[in-house]
Amino acid sequence: METFSLLLQGFEVALQPINLFWALVGSVLGTAIGILPGIGPALTIALLLPVTISVAPTSAFIMFAGVLYGAMYGGSTTSILINTPGEAGSMMTALEGNKMARAGRGASALATAAIGSFVAGTIATLALTFAAPAIAEIAFYFRPADYFALTVLAFTSMAVVMGTSRVRGFISLFLGLALGLIGIDQMTGQARLTFGVPGLFDGMELAVVLVSLFAVGEILYVASRYRKNSSEIIPIRGQIWMSREDWKRSWKPWLRGASLGFPIGALPGGGSEIPTMLSYTLERKLTKHPEEFGKGAIEGVAGPEAANNAAAAGILIPLLTLGLPTSATAAVLLAAFQNYGLQPGPFLFSSNPQLVWGLIASLYVGNAMLLVLNLPLVGIWVRLLSIPAPQLYGGILVFATIGIWGVANSLVDVIAMVIIGVAGYVMRVYDFPIAPVLIGLILGPMAEQQLRTALAAGQGNPIMLVSTPLSVIFLTIAALFLLAPLLLRRLRANA
Amino acid sequence: MPSNWPQSDTAGGGAAAPRPWWLGGLVIALGCVCLYGAFSLPQAARYAGVGPGLFVTLVGSGLVLLGLLLLMQIARGEKFVPQDTEDASGSDKADMTAFLTALAAAIVPVLTIEALGVPFTAMLSFTLVARAFGSRKTVIDLITGAILGSLAWLLFTQLGLQIGSFLPLAGI
Repeated sequence: METFSLLLQGFEVALQPINLFWALVGSVLGTAIGILPGIGPALTIALLLPVTISVAPTSAFIMFAGVLYGAMYGGSTTSILINTPGEAGSMMTALEGNKMARAGRGASALATAAIGSFVAGTIATLALTFAAPAIAEIAFYFRPADYFALTVLAFTSMAVVMGTSRVRGFISLFLGLALGLIGIDQMTGQARLTFGVPGLFDGMELAVVLVSLFAVGEILYVASRYRKNSSEIIPIRGQIWMSREDWKRSWKPWLRGASLGFPIGALPGGGSEIPTMLSYTLERKLTKHPEEFGKGAIEGVAGPEAANNAAAAGILIPLLTLGLPTSATAAVLLAAFQNYGLQPGPFLFSSNPQLVWGLIASLYVGNAMLLVLNLPLVGIWVRLLSIPAPQLYGGILVFATIGIWGVANSLVDVIAMVIIGVAGYVMRVYDFPIAPVLIGLILGPMAEQQLRTALAAGQGNPIMLVSTPLSVIFLTIAALFLLAPLLLRRLRANA
Repeated sequence: MPSNWPQSDTAGGGAAAPRPWWLGGLVIALGCVCLYGAFSLPQAARYAGVGPGLFVTLVGSGLVLLGLLLLMQIARGEKFVPQDTEDASGSDKADMTAFLTALAAAIVPVLTIEALGVPFTAMLSFTLVARAFGSRKTVIDLITGAILGSLAWLLFTQLGLQIGSFLPLAGI
């Protein structure tokens, strides 16, 4: 019952005109960047971080949530209409959705994607509403050793799951950890890895690293391999709505997609790729129309789209309750919290209930807003695709530069942009995952602080790190993550 | 996955070379930088047991170890498949002129943003990136970049962000 009254208070916050305005700004921006290539939600939020100086925290997070959800709506539109999934999560949508559009059923595909996203987003938000306070309650009892073990688990799962190679995943992670060490040590005040450069004393800002990797690295990479997208936008015929048959075939995949997406999205390293793939496979198995798969089956759009949206709500669970980011977007949201001097985690629910519940309520509002924004207006949105690539990428670099310069007006940051941008290029060429860098950068300092606090409590005895049952469980799972692929290979070799 | 990924290229960029030894070397070198930095830091504090240097040592050692593992993988013939993204295909051969033009666009702010301000820097960077992507309408790009940079400057300044004056050298 308490959750309900808190949620009602959240709605009071989210429905204030100023917050509705920010939700609208976020949803519009999110949809736009979801449609445009070269720019995703993490980069957009990083570039919007400067507004945190002039906007109240609740409004800012409501806007960020709009960007996060909006990007997924926009991503499904491009997947269906031009067969270019903007993000990993909409890859599966392109598979069937684009075929549907080619067969003249684009309107139904867009409708099932949008309505499915709405349904799944709402279910996931409901789950978040009830699960988050419960997990936050448990997290109250976490000791430093538990937190340290949890970050180790997050690191390991992220490095193993993201990308194609474990070694490269871990290299990305350790690069992030190293970047996170630069600056004044918070516990002793000593400068570390600054090599006498005063501009480095404050450390590397996540926004600088993220924008350099995602914007500059991407621009360098795409410029070197630019291929004009020849696939045309498929015109939509008729009204965007679904027939009775479409509804009948969509509602179950929506529910199944949501129930896959939310829990997997909440796991570290879960992301949106795995649940959407699982949902697609599941729908393909369960369908009564197997002959349509590969030729435009509506279930193949409905399920993965729902899973994708639910996974996005899932990442908010570890972020809000434990302060644990599990994706690049979550990492930048954590940075936004830190900009306001807030630390997500169990205490946030008691110290800032207005913010937390306002944010959760705004997810319901944002979903409804996006449905209205996207379904009737899809024709206007796709016009964004007529921005020519040279000017689009030029614009992205301009905003990236301003975003980085605006952090501290520091030339060191601008030089870092070039170096890290080139690193981002090399990482794309040699297929290193990018997100672990950001996770290492933002979680590294936390992991170190918990490690040192835990060890200090035991006068430096490392046994302290496994002194609680939870820490043992977390570390064991982390070890399993690391060893499972090896063991599986051995088993297969013996079989 | 594209099967016709490029088989050879120069190191330092372009498509994946079959034996990018320098990549493993670079990771090890970065690890050594960390270890060098850790060298001058106390590893243990009196009461805490752990000093500010321990984590740096751990991360540095980790990077060295991972660099060695990467070298071993490279020796075994690990394949590196460039990532596919929107507007770019990993299987295409790298166009180094376009790459260097885009890189120049990223370097421009280092040279100009302090003295010449955001709008002017935006104009140059925008035009260079557009050129890297094949635009040859340089005058139009310069004008577009200048307008975009000025509007962005106005917007961010209005939002209360400190991004310097409009054209610092001229005192505006």
